[in-house]
Amino acid sequence: MKKGLTVLLIVAAVVAGLFLWVKGAYNGMVTADENVQSAWAQVENVYQRRADLIPNLVATVKGYAQHESQTLENVVSARAKATQMTIDPADLSEEAIARFSEAQGELSSALGRLLLIQENYPDLKANQNFSELQAQLEGTENRIATERMKFNETAKAYNTLIRKFPDNIIASMFGFEKKGYFEAQAGAETAPKVEF
Amino acid sequence: MKKTLKALITIAAVLSAICVSIPASAIPSRPSPARLVNDLAGVFTPGQAEELERVLVAFDDSTSNQIAVVTVRDLEGYEASEYATRIGLGWGVGSERFDNGVVILVKPKDTSAGKVFIATGYGLEGAIPDAYAKRIINEVMIPHFKGEDYYMGVAEACKVLMQLASGEISELREDEFDEDDAGAIAAAILIVLILIFVIIIVAGSGGGSSGTGSGSHRGGRTIYTGPIITSGRNYGGWGSSSGGFGGGFGGFGGFGGGSFGGGGAGGSW
Repeated sequence: MKKGLTVLLIVAAVVAGLFLWVKGAYNGMVTADENVQSAWAQVENVYQRRADLIPNLVATVKGYAQHESQTLENVVSARAKATQMTIDPADLSEEAIARFSEAQGELSSALGRLLLIQENYPDLKANQNFSELQAQLEGTENRIATERMKFNETAKAYNTLIRKFPDNIIASMFGFEKKGYFEAQAGAETAPKVEF
Repeated sequence: MKKTLKALITIAAVLSAICVSIPASAIPSRPSPARLVNDLAGVFTPGQAEELERVLVAFDDSTSNQIAVVTVRDLEGYEASEYATRIGLGWGVGSERFDNGVVILVKPKDTSAGKVFIATGYGLEGAIPDAYAKRIINEVMIPHFKGEDYYMGVAEACKVLMQLASGEISELREDEFDEDDAGAIAAAILIVLILIFVIIIVAGSGGGSSGTGSGSHRGGRTIYTGPIITSGRNYGGWGSSSGGFGGGFGGFGGFGGGSFGGGGAGGSW
């Protein structure tokens, strides 16, 4: 009888310990997941900020450089493609981020080419509005770089958490997926060089 | 057996070598003791650095905005913007509540071009828009830097930045410390008072048992406890005000954990 009670107590203790462990690990993962999602929201914010600058920039350039319609069109279509590319923040897989990054990268290179043409149009280069827009664009690129860096750090913390033993058991039980990172793409993702 | 051990040791040695060879972050680590002016490139005279530090600490004390000045000889391959932002993030310039830090990074001109960047914390992006930072750099800093007068360039820029920043966030830094310090001091005084009280009671009861003088002793006790308590309250008041003074006097209190989002502007000459 007394032995039965001891066994019962031990089982109860084990169950309680197990419960506390699962609870702690699970809640930690939920917090980390939330952090990644809010870091992602910041990344989307700064990319949106860049997209918002483009109509103004295109309009300004149009006034000075009518012959560059192809370059301008490329920017407009790349912007459309990039803004259409939205990602479910609950699914930040490697592929999803690569898709997003690629669309934004195309916009980056289209923008880079647009900014290059100013060399052929001194009036455009001297335009106050244009140089303000360039400064804003440069600031936005800095912000994009910073938020991407922060996202990668947050995602790394999350990935480390869900992949470490024994918490990885809980992660796979509750379906916590590994998050992707922003890769530094050769050429495509470098910010357009804006010289002043 | 011996062979396995040897193999294990080799593996361990290789692993530790790999760990060591991973380069540490190239960003200078947070200064200790914390300083706002970090002239790693040595472009200020000691007097200039001290004066700048004094002004910036006073500004931090009166508005809680932290402006950190960092000069370096080498950007370690980073863009000036990234370097400055990483310093801001790594050191936590500005308070955690307001993210009101500014990092002024100067890489003086030597064989390569001079570079300057003003990084603004999230909370000051409104008060110091990128365009303003750009203007400060082009109109205030670079003209002085071209004449090799790094101190004037930075000091003048700080003056403008302080005006802009204080318009947005202006919180007395002492306020935070005051309450904590005052609380701690009041608690300490209370404990001391209770101890004194207990001692008096113990001494008093000791005196009481010793016969003849007990009446006058008791009288003494009731008369004296009153003034002790009231004077104790006075000390409590003193304590809190001297606590506030301590906050203001002790130099720079340290970085507050502010965050940066890549805001600001840069320039080169």
